[in-house]
Amino acid sequence: MSDSRSPSAWSARWPLFAAIAAVCIGTVYGFAFFTPLTEDARNQMSLLYGAMFWASALIGILMLTMITRLFDAGWAPIIRRSWEFLLPALPIVILLGVAPLALNPSIRHAVWEWTSATDHAIHAKSWFLNEPFFLGRIGFYVIVFGGLGWALRHWSFRQDSDRTAGHTHTLHAISAAGVPVAALTLTFLAFDCLMALSYHWFSTMYGVWFFTLSIRLALSVTVILTHLLSTRGWLGGMLNQAHRHVLGCLMLAFTVFWAYISFSQYFIIYNANIPEETFWYNIREIDAVTGEKSQWWWVSMFMVFGFFLLPFILLLFYRTKIVASRIVAVASLIFFGGLVDLWWNAIPRKIHDHSEVGFHVNDFLVPQLGLDLLSVVGFGALVFAIFLRTARNAECIPIHDPRISESLEYHE
Amino acid sequence: MNDHSSQDTQPRREERVFGVACSFRSVAEIFHAAERIRDAGWKKWDVYTPFPIHGMDAAMGLPRSPIPRVTLLGGITGFVTGCLLTWYTNSFDYPLIVGAKPYWSVIYPFPVLYECTILFAAFGTFFGQFIFNRLPRHHHPLFDVPQFVRVSDDAFMVVLEVSDPRFGNPDKAYDFLASLGGQDITLVRD
Repeated sequence: MSDSRSPSAWSARWPLFAAIAAVCIGTVYGFAFFTPLTEDARNQMSLLYGAMFWASALIGILMLTMITRLFDAGWAPIIRRSWEFLLPALPIVILLGVAPLALNPSIRHAVWEWTSATDHAIHAKSWFLNEPFFLGRIGFYVIVFGGLGWALRHWSFRQDSDRTAGHTHTLHAISAAGVPVAALTLTFLAFDCLMALSYHWFSTMYGVWFFTLSIRLALSVTVILTHLLSTRGWLGGMLNQAHRHVLGCLMLAFTVFWAYISFSQYFIIYNANIPEETFWYNIREIDAVTGEKSQWWWVSMFMVFGFFLLPFILLLFYRTKIVASRIVAVASLIFFGGLVDLWWNAIPRKIHDHSEVGFHVNDFLVPQLGLDLLSVVGFGALVFAIFLRTARNAECIPIHDPRISESLEYHE
Repeated sequence: MNDHSSQDTQPRREERVFGVACSFRSVAEIFHAAERIRDAGWKKWDVYTPFPIHGMDAAMGLPRSPIPRVTLLGGITGFVTGCLLTWYTNSFDYPLIVGAKPYWSVIYPFPVLYECTILFAAFGTFFGQFIFNRLPRHHHPLFDVPQFVRVSDDAFMVVLEVSDPRFGNPDKAYDFLASLGGQDITLVRD
């Protein structure tokens, strides 16, 4: 029993998860690169979807790692070490999921319509939306996220062996510089990989929406992962009620913040009522030809009631935040809601046809939903394999962090 | 042990008693004393320390604060008030179309609704704590106890209040506190 709880027993299993990842991502690659392109590039979108889902969660984890450093959060050290184990997955997920789609010209033209568009809207934005700059930016995202993750791990892991408290100050400095850099990088990643899928539409709040989604996903992954590690892994006897409480409070705060940002984006566009902005919401509510509510309407309603209202009400209660099974249940709901939010943002698009309005919108319920989930499972297994493999390089908690005893004895 | 004759222990005639206080010298002592007072079934008593002691809530058997419920009630009241305000002004009393939006829906006045929710929830919290803390209060009987000033420095004080049904008479409270290892046992006059 005690043997299976040891870090080495856990991290020895990384090849198993790497194999699962290889099979799942390989299948998704097969559909992405060896099936004919449609106008909505739905098979290719599965690869982008799975990668962006985990990129989002890992960006949230990167931000939480730096923010808890900056605020010197006393509760954080034992949890932050797990975040540090996850960080190397972020550039790899973008490299495996986004870069191949962007580098293949015909797939690039289908997924990112603007790369083959010639209308005035694209002409006016071409100083930013041009293919060489786009590809260069994706490389830039990989380098920035990879570099920040490396620096945050490197000094933290070194502290385990050389017991130098000064590394904590180095990490403060890295985080202080890293937060604005990562904030801009994640904003442009969201613009390039998601908002630009519909290049006529624009929202200045899109980057903040992506940030709030990222933090919500990061917290839900953290709650589920630390619960697993405390019941079956190396955090047994360390993670306590107060850690769950603080994570629960953050989940509540970012549930409200996500709703605030998502609603504000909707509200500003609704109020201004300009067709070049409102179409983006229209295709997520109504069938353009019949004017009836489409499948996406029900997805939208789930976002309002299932991804905001239900977690919000549940998280108001103190006991939801401290009872392990309840907070894991809410974290799972938020994890699922994140999947839906990404579907809702990435998938709907106009498909041109001969109807009187000239287009229809692709449906939500299509067989490729299964491929999307396979992609999420594949990239999830990859992230977990990298987590386990990185865990071999350091202590499972930062034993010489100046705040380690405060974190172990954290109290509400 | 029960020699109270040399101390200021007995209430004088016509005098109201707030409770009996005693001091402890360390966190561990007061922590265990609190657990034993809790286990003896006391309800009206309190602990005064120079700094917060982690785990003291549980050692004293304190329940969660009722104030979050007042906050929630305030929030719901605020949301309903916001709905009524926007519906009454824009749809009922003086129906007005603004920006091609409906007279009333839950969307266009949402900023008003959530601002009202937050405002009333804050009122609920603020006035809730006023009521539950019995504020405003300009004086407290403990301010007349000379040892009490050391609570802001190095003393840990327990006060058993006379309003607790277990209090009985001061002598019983004295003996109980003495059995817990309390020192400087003093009568607190109201």
